[in-house]
Amino acid sequence: MEQQLKANKQWMGARMERKEDLRLVTGQGKYLADIVLPGMLHAVFVRSEYAHAKILGIDTSAALELPGVIAVLTGEDFRTEVKSMRQPVLLPNLPAAYPEYYALAVDKVKYHGDPVAVVIARDKYTAEDAAELVMVDYEELPVILDAEAALEPGAPQVHDDQPGNEMFAMTFTGGATEEEQRANEAAVEQIFKTADVVVSNRFRVHRTGITPMEPRGVLCDWTMADGLTAWITTQRPHIDRLALIDILDIPGEKVRVIAPRDQGGGFGVKAPFFRENVVIAHAARKLGKPVRWIESRYESLMSVGQERDQVNTLDVAATKEGKLLAIRNRGVANNGTGQTGVYWGFVMPFLGQVEMPNVYTWEKGDIKLRVASTNKACLTPSRAFGHFPTRFAVERSIDMVARKVGMEPAVLRRKNMVPQLPYTTVTGEYYDSGDFLKVWDNLLTHIDLPAFRREQAALREQGRYIGIGFACGAELSGVASELLVPMENQPGYGAATVRVDPRGKVLIFGGDAPGGQGHETTVAQVVASTFGIDPKDSVVTTGDTGATPFGAGTIGARAGSYFVSAVHKACADLKEKITHVLAHDLGIRATVEEFSFINGEVIYLRDPSKKKPFREIVERIIMFPVNLPEGEVGGLEATAFFEAAKPMICFNGDFCVVEVDIKTAEFKIKRWVTSEDVGNVINQNIVDGQMHGAIVQGLSNAVYEEFIYNEQGQQLTADFENYKLATAADVPDIELSYASTPCPHTPLGTRGIGEGRPSSVPGALSNAICDALAPFGIEITELPLRPSSLWTKIKAAQG
Amino acid sequence: MELKQQIRINAPRARVFAALNDPALLLQAIPGCEALTEQEPGKFEATVAAKVGPLSAKFKGHMQVEDLNPPASYTLVGEGKAGPAGHAKVRASVRLEEDGAGTLLHYEVKADVGGKLGQLGGSLIDRTAQKLAGEFFQRFEPLIALDGDAPAADTPTATAVAAATPAAKQTWGAWYFMAAVALALAAWVLLR
Repeated sequence: MEQQLKANKQWMGARMERKEDLRLVTGQGKYLADIVLPGMLHAVFVRSEYAHAKILGIDTSAALELPGVIAVLTGEDFRTEVKSMRQPVLLPNLPAAYPEYYALAVDKVKYHGDPVAVVIARDKYTAEDAAELVMVDYEELPVILDAEAALEPGAPQVHDDQPGNEMFAMTFTGGATEEEQRANEAAVEQIFKTADVVVSNRFRVHRTGITPMEPRGVLCDWTMADGLTAWITTQRPHIDRLALIDILDIPGEKVRVIAPRDQGGGFGVKAPFFRENVVIAHAARKLGKPVRWIESRYESLMSVGQERDQVNTLDVAATKEGKLLAIRNRGVANNGTGQTGVYWGFVMPFLGQVEMPNVYTWEKGDIKLRVASTNKACLTPSRAFGHFPTRFAVERSIDMVARKVGMEPAVLRRKNMVPQLPYTTVTGEYYDSGDFLKVWDNLLTHIDLPAFRREQAALREQGRYIGIGFACGAELSGVASELLVPMENQPGYGAATVRVDPRGKVLIFGGDAPGGQGHETTVAQVVASTFGIDPKDSVVTTGDTGATPFGAGTIGARAGSYFVSAVHKACADLKEKITHVLAHDLGIRATVEEFSFINGEVIYLRDPSKKKPFREIVERIIMFPVNLPEGEVGGLEATAFFEAAKPMICFNGDFCVVEVDIKTAEFKIKRWVTSEDVGNVINQNIVDGQMHGAIVQGLSNAVYEEFIYNEQGQQLTADFENYKLATAADVPDIELSYASTPCPHTPLGTRGIGEGRPSSVPGALSNAICDALAPFGIEITELPLRPSSLWTKIKAAQG
Repeated sequence: MELKQQIRINAPRARVFAALNDPALLLQAIPGCEALTEQEPGKFEATVAAKVGPLSAKFKGHMQVEDLNPPASYTLVGEGKAGPAGHAKVRASVRLEEDGAGTLLHYEVKADVGGKLGQLGGSLIDRTAQKLAGEFFQRFEPLIALDGDAPAADTPTATAVAAATPAAKQTWGAWYFMAAVALALAAWVLLR
């Protein structure tokens, strides 16, 4: 047994170099843009330059006359020849006013960038020139950009079939019936009336999100023999395939979707099912030639990666001893047009409200959300999906309560943290396992708070302002079917096929589609530790619907929680078979636990002289399946599914130390410290990398990035000149620490990590700044965090 | 984009007002103007080529004069489309004030620029608008002067620009004579 454990330790938790990296850094990665088919045509989209307008006519004659142009398609082609995008497979099981829409804009354009036509030509340059010759005659319509204004009576209507511009509304607390909910509201109101301490604020978070290094692309090939093969930069190839089948009305046996092996980041942006998929597939079918579209950065910034954009009016009630009593929120989210499949924009704010209570023990909650349609790009899922704004609001409110009751914010948090799991929050979110207090106490070992306060006071005498800010968050570790079926109409189980080959190599197939998370490495480590072989002896294939088991996609930190668990299960099934045959061959009676898979051998622990090299026993079972034990048949391949009965989580706590220059209002992060519960670790480098990446994305979102629309709905931030990202110079040294509890619900005790991680960042940073500027009584309730807005607040406070 | 400036034109107010509403003169004065026709009194169609930063745009649009209050003020409202480069809506308020023998021209321009042009950044658009406005008045003033009576002799800049403007019409002879006189006077003053 000891030997078994030793083998496991070698690969589990190791800081192994990623298998993907050599090919990626030597230019040998294979991305969608590297896939070239003979006779391939190129597509360029013509996009609306108005935020809201009627399409009076489209003149494609000049474009068609350009030599090399094969076709120009418009919305009418899609309205008449193909089904609408509003198909059941793409609709969440949530009650919302889903607007009808087609792959290209029909009758109206509803945001600056709405695709109106597509030009297909022999080469990309001709296509771009021709796109400029397509003349669209627009009649401008009044524009509505603000979510709260959009919900007011008399506001311009974005969708004719969505009166009132309300995409979605929900009450998340109190119960299922209106009566229960109203009673709950009254009870909460009662708490607020009698509480010692109440803080009420309007928290605004701007429109920001994710900019993956690689924008989107679609390549479709339609042949008589194979039907449709679609390469798509997607996180969910199996779902995309179903959508293509339903919308284009193609028999399922004739559709294959392949997510390229290498993708330059998804982070949620490549998770929806996009209109461009239908346009390119239909064009390939019509023209009988492969058609490829590669998104430009300009298009990408115009159309995807926009999220957050919420106003949360949050009230928090507490006792004067710092015990949190009730949380009441009215959230309004700016959905944009809502025209993307699977999420329709509103699923993100939906989850944000679900996660609002965070890890605190509230007695009661009253949480409501309204999601408004506006003439902006539809929200796309972005890492920290929906709760970047709500986490900011809650963590700021906690600090305000702490200040009012005269308690250290870190201590007040600890006092109100859920002490024991499992736990169900006031919104019904289930926290399965972990030890929040252990993680928090670990965090606090990295700072001597009393000493810090003394230093802070001394520096204030000198006119220098430092501050410390805390935040924490429970994040989803994968998404159980219990949550994913209602939320996205998809199953949450993980699936893996493990095939051992006669040479002792292992091939693993998964239906998800990673975008750079290092799945090939983590899975190889799991297989290596299970079979006692080397990680280099494994190959992982994902993303191809023709070759992999069904999976909902790479979303919500599924790999470390669901996918590797399915892999482990499949390996465990194969170990049963291998040991069964080996025992039979050795003439002994033994169970799988009595064998050790280590260093390429399968060893009988009671008598280590009885052993066989892994390579030999597997070859024997696959190639020479004679004299097998009763009931066994040859071959070594297993498919396994993993489901968690209830949703699982991971947890993190952060603090940062900041110094603010009163004269310029610039702030500098002096320290960023984290404490994480990531369950059991497979690859420490990858986990560390996830944390670094998440914190940097959180900082970039909170401070630098902002999608800006002017009053006419013109999007002004469609290049990196204007849409600012954090650079290396802006990133502080991040000190990571871990205080993990293995997850009892996964076979390896691992947790999925990294998806929601950015959401603690704005709270920690703004809390630190407010702590530094406490003498001025400044409270931050809005993002982005800019020196310019801070300067105004400081000046106002100075009088 | 907002532009608010004033400039002194060395010509009487009535003449300036008339010139500002003269399509033939505007065609020459507006930088990059390839066509300008009056459809009805006060309603113009124009084609203007402009370069804003890296983008070349050819605007096709219409303008109309509103609140015509000669010779004191008027408003010009227009919109144009520049194909793939974008579109613009402009509103210009012009007010003329007598200033001795000349005119003080106040103008206030508000423009909404959209499409790719709108995404170039406000400061670039502002600078381009300023530059174009400057060019316009550089061409405009000598054109008014040429139209009818010769101006006073002490307008060396007008002389120089008139010589450079290809669209300048008639009486070259008179101009060369005035230039010679002006230079002679200047030389006399300097060498004294």
